[in-house]
Amino acid sequence: MSWELLWKVVLIAVVGAFSLMAILVTILGARDIKKLLRKLRDEEDED
Amino acid sequence: MTDAVQSAFDQTNFGTADWVIVIVYLLISLGIGIMVKRYAGSMVNYIGAGRKIGPWLGVATMTGTELGLVTVMYSAQKGFTGGFAAFHIALIAGVATLFVGLTGFIVGPLRRMRVLTIPEFYEKRFNRKIRILGGFLLVFAGVLNMGLFLKVGSMFIVGVTGMASDGEALKWVMVGLLLLVLIYTTLGGMISVILTDYVQFVVLSFGLLAGTWIAISKLGWGTIFQTVHDTLGPAGFDPTVSDGSFGWEYVCWMVITAGLIGSAVWPTAVSRALTMESEAAVKKQYCWSSISFTVRFLFPYFWGICALVFITSMPAGADLKELFFSVEEGVEPLSNLYAMPVFMGRLLPPILIGVITAGMIAAFMSTHDSYFLTWSSVITQDIVAPLWKRELSTKARVKITRICIVLMGGYVLYWSVFYKGREDIWDYMAVTGGIYFTGAFVVLMLGVYWKRTSSFGALLGLLSGLLMLLGLEPIQKAVGLKVLNGAGEWREILTSPQIGLITVSIALVLTIAGSLLKPDTRKEAE
Repeated sequence: MSWELLWKVVLIAVVGAFSLMAILVTILGARDIKKLLRKLRDEEDED
Repeated sequence: MTDAVQSAFDQTNFGTADWVIVIVYLLISLGIGIMVKRYAGSMVNYIGAGRKIGPWLGVATMTGTELGLVTVMYSAQKGFTGGFAAFHIALIAGVATLFVGLTGFIVGPLRRMRVLTIPEFYEKRFNRKIRILGGFLLVFAGVLNMGLFLKVGSMFIVGVTGMASDGEALKWVMVGLLLLVLIYTTLGGMISVILTDYVQFVVLSFGLLAGTWIAISKLGWGTIFQTVHDTLGPAGFDPTVSDGSFGWEYVCWMVITAGLIGSAVWPTAVSRALTMESEAAVKKQYCWSSISFTVRFLFPYFWGICALVFITSMPAGADLKELFFSVEEGVEPLSNLYAMPVFMGRLLPPILIGVITAGMIAAFMSTHDSYFLTWSSVITQDIVAPLWKRELSTKARVKITRICIVLMGGYVLYWSVFYKGREDIWDYMAVTGGIYFTGAFVVLMLGVYWKRTSSFGALLGLLSGLLMLLGLEPIQKAVGLKVLNGAGEWREILTSPQIGLITVSIALVLTIAGSLLKPDTRKEAE
């Protein structure tokens, strides 16, 4: 495999993987934020 | 600034609507800081977000921290000068992060020990003196390292918005941004940093993908590769070519720096791992972050490459060719750091350019807040508290951390806005960072995985990082590592990657030798 072909494959693969990751992190990260704030609120109520 | 440069900068698509997008974004960031202030009462919450961060939010914050504007700017510059060969750094960073995610290399044991900072590990593993020394070296290197961030950030804003004509306005924008970062970091601590990192992730990730897509569609996939081939030859693709921008030594140095150190030793990345809710969450965070650790280099490299293609082969970029590759005697070429932002300013349509600029400013702020918080918490936890004769209350620790953040803000503002240093900032950053990470990498690795590592060995290992100072240009000239040749040009006897590799090797040898020669006594080990 030539270097040029390698970098073409890497670029396409990374763009694809990052697109998927961006969607997942956006949705599931929002869920994690909700959980974080709930835990912090519960902790505050206990104090 | 000449009329030609001013005219080139004025051709940006950045307009009023884009400014509105940026301002709204900044106000949201400020609002988040104020909103979560009430949760930042304890030290664990303030610098570790209560160790309650889930894996997906962890990936977002890791990306938000590591995808800084400074990284984007220098990476774009590397792509501009080195072509696709620079991609090897992105690949190494991604593979190394995946390795850390799969094995838990260094970060897994650190999270298990429930430490908040790396020097805290030094005390648990060695003794308090090593903690203080480690903390001092970390802060010394780290604060020096971020000294020029504001300047580089300003270069992006100048390039993309076309604000070049009004230098004073730019300074005030920088002051404003810095104040904003200081306010929400000092108020909300790590919780606000993580929440803004999430917003940054969403804005920037979709902006990066859209920008890349537009660049390919406007320039042409085949044209991009062909132009790099015509301009840089085989060295534009093969990183091992010694007469190109890299070579084997550089690749080896990148395995250590961009690879293992960037993911498992650099404190801002490690501090994110230490905020995670469990070791399993840390591993998951790193496995997914391997994509973003690749992206944070690869996309800016690609944008730098596209800037090169735009400037050298597109009629629309013809005026820029004269500026960046000036052959006129007595005319200095424009710093190629400006190439990517000027190119993006002309390529991206209004609104999208506002979104991407907001994301980039967010990246700029995110790096600042993380660095402020990491270094100031090390000063508080690992230098001031151990040296304090009495137990410091939580309230006092949070207060000291906040004061340190404000003082660092003053330093960064002074250094970036008023200090007129040399333009070659990348070498400066690599050397200053290396003062900490060359020694810390060895001491952390051996401290975690080799039981016989002693306090004396750790002391020698950490101090050997100071050898990286030999990579600084004035010191190189003073000690004869950089000499004038017959043609009156400066020639390096040892390059920065060579000095880095030698320093890591010396740190390794000294740590092992010191540990064998002077093992810890049973009392010390306990």
